[in-house]
Amino acid sequence: MPSLKLLNILNPRAVEKHRENIYRNLEILPYLNFEEIAIGNYGWTKDLILATYYEASTGKIPEHLEYRIGNRGDGFDSLDFKYKQSFDEKDFLKRFEEIDLSIDLNKRNYGEKITIPVPFYGAGMSFGSISLNVMIARAMSAKTLGTFTSTGEGGYPKELMKFKENVITQISTGYFGVREETILISRIIEFKYAQGAKPGLGGHLLAPKVTPEVAEMREVVPFVNIYQPFPFHSVYSVEDHKKHVDWIRAINPNALVSVKVSTPIDVDMVAIGIYYAGAHIIHLDGGYGGTGASPEFAKKNIAMPIEFAIPKVHKYLLSEGVRENITLMASGGIRTPHDVAKAIALGADGCVIGTAELIALGCTQCGNCEKGGRGRGCQIGIATTNKVLSSLQDPRWGSKRILNMYKAWCYELKKILYMLDLDSIRKLKGRKDLLLDKGPSFEGKEEYV
Amino acid sequence: MYNKLLKSRLKVIDRDFKVKNKIEAEGGCGVIGLASSEQLEGRYLYQALYQMKNRGNRKGGGIAAVGLSNIQLGVSKEMLNDCYIFQLAILNENYKDEIEKEYISEFFEVYDSYKIEHLDHQKLGLEVRPPEIYRYFIKIREDKLKKFIRENELEDIPEDKVEEEMIWQISFMLNKKYYSSLGDKRAMVMSSGKNMIVLKLVGYGDEVIKYYKLDDFKAHVWIGHHRYPTKGKVWHPGGAHPFVGVNHALVHNGDFSNYHPIVEYLKERNYEPLFLTDTEVAILVFDLLYRVYEYPLEYLIEALAPTLERDFYKLPLEKRKIYREIQALHMTSSPDGPWFFIIAGHDPRLKQFQLIGITDTSMLRPQVFSYLDSNVKLGIVASERQAINAILRDLYEDTRIPSLFADKYWVARGESHTDGGAFIYVYDYEKNKFECFNKFGIKIKIPEYQEHYYLKLSNNQKIFNIKYDKNFDIDTFIKIIKDIGWEELLSYIESIKKRKPREAIELLTRLYDLPYNTGMKRRSSIKTILLKALYEIFDKYLDQEYKLIDFYEKDKLHEAKNSIQTLVIDSKYFPSEGEDSLSRFVVEAYKMGWRKIIVYNMRGQRFLGCGLGPNSDSLRIDVYGDSGDYLGSGLDGAEIYVHGSAQDQVAQIMKRGKIVIYGDVGQTFMYSSKGGEVYVLGSAAGRPLINSVGKPRVVINGTCLDYLAESFMAGDPLKGGGFVILNGIGISDEGEYYNLEDPYPGGNLFSLASGGAIYIRDPYNKLEENQLHGGKYVMLTKDDWDLILPYLKNNEKLFNITLEFLLTIDGEKKSYNEIYKKVIPTK
Repeated sequence: MPSLKLLNILNPRAVEKHRENIYRNLEILPYLNFEEIAIGNYGWTKDLILATYYEASTGKIPEHLEYRIGNRGDGFDSLDFKYKQSFDEKDFLKRFEEIDLSIDLNKRNYGEKITIPVPFYGAGMSFGSISLNVMIARAMSAKTLGTFTSTGEGGYPKELMKFKENVITQISTGYFGVREETILISRIIEFKYAQGAKPGLGGHLLAPKVTPEVAEMREVVPFVNIYQPFPFHSVYSVEDHKKHVDWIRAINPNALVSVKVSTPIDVDMVAIGIYYAGAHIIHLDGGYGGTGASPEFAKKNIAMPIEFAIPKVHKYLLSEGVRENITLMASGGIRTPHDVAKAIALGADGCVIGTAELIALGCTQCGNCEKGGRGRGCQIGIATTNKVLSSLQDPRWGSKRILNMYKAWCYELKKILYMLDLDSIRKLKGRKDLLLDKGPSFEGKEEYV
Repeated sequence: MYNKLLKSRLKVIDRDFKVKNKIEAEGGCGVIGLASSEQLEGRYLYQALYQMKNRGNRKGGGIAAVGLSNIQLGVSKEMLNDCYIFQLAILNENYKDEIEKEYISEFFEVYDSYKIEHLDHQKLGLEVRPPEIYRYFIKIREDKLKKFIRENELEDIPEDKVEEEMIWQISFMLNKKYYSSLGDKRAMVMSSGKNMIVLKLVGYGDEVIKYYKLDDFKAHVWIGHHRYPTKGKVWHPGGAHPFVGVNHALVHNGDFSNYHPIVEYLKERNYEPLFLTDTEVAILVFDLLYRVYEYPLEYLIEALAPTLERDFYKLPLEKRKIYREIQALHMTSSPDGPWFFIIAGHDPRLKQFQLIGITDTSMLRPQVFSYLDSNVKLGIVASERQAINAILRDLYEDTRIPSLFADKYWVARGESHTDGGAFIYVYDYEKNKFECFNKFGIKIKIPEYQEHYYLKLSNNQKIFNIKYDKNFDIDTFIKIIKDIGWEELLSYIESIKKRKPREAIELLTRLYDLPYNTGMKRRSSIKTILLKALYEIFDKYLDQEYKLIDFYEKDKLHEAKNSIQTLVIDSKYFPSEGEDSLSRFVVEAYKMGWRKIIVYNMRGQRFLGCGLGPNSDSLRIDVYGDSGDYLGSGLDGAEIYVHGSAQDQVAQIMKRGKIVIYGDVGQTFMYSSKGGEVYVLGSAAGRPLINSVGKPRVVINGTCLDYLAESFMAGDPLKGGGFVILNGIGISDEGEYYNLEDPYPGGNLFSLASGGAIYIRDPYNKLEENQLHGGKYVMLTKDDWDLILPYLKNNEKLFNITLEFLLTIDGEKKSYNEIYKKVIPTK
């Protein structure tokens, strides 16, 4: 663990200097000529990462980078839209304000009626897996945008409470930091039954990342591995799950309940069980999702990819006649506005965004997240609670970055809708017919007007 | 012999059937079973099922009844004894004649038959019209029986066994042809056992009783079930429980993860599942082992729920040998996954009606057993204690039994060497004998020398002059209770009732809460008298210090006048959850300034004490009756006193505050709790304090099923962290405290814990290394003792468990570190 003496040596001027360097880098990088392998991977390609940096700096879409798809060879990267009309910028700008990107989060007849102006909200990333400064940046941008971000499974830091109108409190199987107080101030409560990146494994926070602050929030012993059980020990059947949802409603009857699950083969059964338990939102977390805090063997692609899970659940809920009474959110590797639109076309109402926000803040996908303060740790101060490293992130700057990225996303989403001749994102839901499978990371880049 | 029986099925079964996927995800349900030495009417099952409605979703409910009344069935005693009751459910009337011709008349000698009466389904609000049921009293036709025996070379098998097999095969053929799970459903066989019926429909279990007019229908054994399937619109009752073998019916709470391997196993023995649910294969395995292979019950239970791990090595060598064989043989047929079975059945050879409750090896489904030994002997087993007490209450109000409570309540420890995780109630109708025993055949002991108090006797009783004056000390009285008779006891209680309500409530509650020697008087009767007295005061004799309110007046609740006035809530008609629930009403009252609340007449309502928010310190809630799940979860400051036992998920995520439970507590007690001061008089079920952090300080005076404090992370107790004190004390039938033989019988103590500690009282050095997984035993230091002493002193004040008792073993006073051991993490 880096000694705290460093903190005394690290004077404000030094922090300022490091930050300046980072910010400058992030602005320049999208213009530089990189070798493909220097940064990124098949999911988050060099272009996607740099495009995200660009969007976060400028609020605009970069025309010179491939910002729509990655290079996985399948899934969203092989899908494209069957556009109905070409892009006429003048006409588009005239219609810009009319195109509606809002979605309803509550389609049942109890609980607060919440509508968000964009079809996405922020994913749960715990205090412990990421730093407080990053959490605040995300909360600030959620508040400005009118959408939500989630506390993740590590508890609700008191610094976040002034954003409570826009913060989802997450309850995961270890119930860390969960108190009636945090349930009462939240408008949305998210049960995390599983995480797509490591289904069946419960939560992990390895010892180096259990700093004294993290330990205090979770009321555990510092620098000892924290494991959360795989199941909720009080939920071993569907009627137990209903009881669980009822319990939250007994504390805060107005709050919306979201249930986050991964994508096993019978994900449709899981979804209908969630519906009958009385939840408002089914949140599917697919296998491409990120994790800032788990052992190496868990960070592989397991569970059903999200592009299969969404239509499976959407179709099943339709056949049961309940699709219109519940909101379906998808997450797990949603990187671009195109991914968002494709997920919605496959049947989701909206998406939950994790990694993309971190990339907006400068994440380089180096994959060293779980090392915490030991070794190098997070070079950009995101996936750490180490005081020295996390000082590299300024929340105000961070929130502007995320807002800019989302501004570009909204522009692009409206553009997609315009070219599909639709005036609302809600009309895209379930429109699989508007999707085209173009094969491995299609070369149709030229086709795109 | 059994091979020949199974072989005879080859004409009827398609051996190469494709193993299909389960159609339904079962998940959860509410289950209940009742067995009695006297026939009891269906309406007694009704209330219990009604109270457990939130465990079902109205997509399937059913009952089984065994040991029926021949008069009610409209037949002679001989017919009831000799015939099988074949119940055919006709979903499509067009096929009735065909079925009668090809199956009924073809194979059966029909002694009587009629259509079962029922109500109008629409008037009951049922969405799906239940099928008409035709009831036939039959035996196999003599010529058909002989032919079958001849063709299959079954001459050396007793004829009644062959008859049973034929009944099974004919039911199977009928179900297969007219009710394969896909496609057209035309008819199905509901049940075919001797002296037994099963009825089920698309609705709740209690609706079966209403629809088929079973309120007054008598039986010795009942089982009932609410289903919670999640898939699809359900148009037919085929997926509802109970499922049947021939003379046995099974209901099931839970889910299997190895459905396929079990079906493969059954396939090899010529069983073909037709209804594609877990429960069906469970009864098919039971049928195979009980009826065909004729396993003794002990081995059958071992086959379904094997004894494992440390418990296995605790068994005597002989048993281990046999059990190992059984386990190896039944590896693929033992159901995996959380489950709890209740089976009702009839064994005509043993002349027994049976009620069997079996819990799985991981103890993941809640279950409570009970036994009452009075003029009527009965046993009830259910998913929740409140369901048991609902039945007992109704029986008591009808003066069928002398007490509101059973003489004993307990939970089974799955896969254990202590009780085998299974209990069987048996009524031998030839000898008129009713008994309950565990998997190993060991009987539940009841203090037969003690008597209940029979209300009927009291009608002519004079209430004696008040012998005890206002200042008679209660603790002195407790010491003499064992020597006085009912009349004196009653008169003392009457004298208390005449005192100021505050005093009376306090005294009666103390008498109700504490165990003490009751002499020749049954404790359950004394508790009944005391509770009734308390309720009478709440109903009628409160003064200005109190405000009484019930569900129908709840909108009239006003602000509290001051913080001393007590709100008394009659919970009877409050729903269990939702906006109008009891728990939300208590939150409202708290917001209106009420700081003392008494809740009585509880009937399983959930979430009491939830929703109060942070810092609810000045509030005190006293609970009388059967509280439901999640009591005090999330508590942050307030105090809750539960006068009786509590159920599951108590004090989950509790942060601060105090809870006292004068009884037992259920599953996952204090799961992920972060603090709080909690005292439990009795025992906890499975997984208490699992994943707990921060600084909970808990005293459990009894023991627990297993998995105590798994993944405990509560810091260092000597530096403000959390701990559990486990005293290993039981309460004898004489009402006295004694040391349990084993303070902790389970195999998983403090597993994977990284913080906190357990102070466990182990006077006879029974604890073993192999019970630990990541923990170690150390001696207590003086600091430890100084830490826990104040809690033990509080414990003494609450429960009369003295320090002297704790530290005196076999008459000898010992020091604390000869008796207590401390368990800490190995790191």
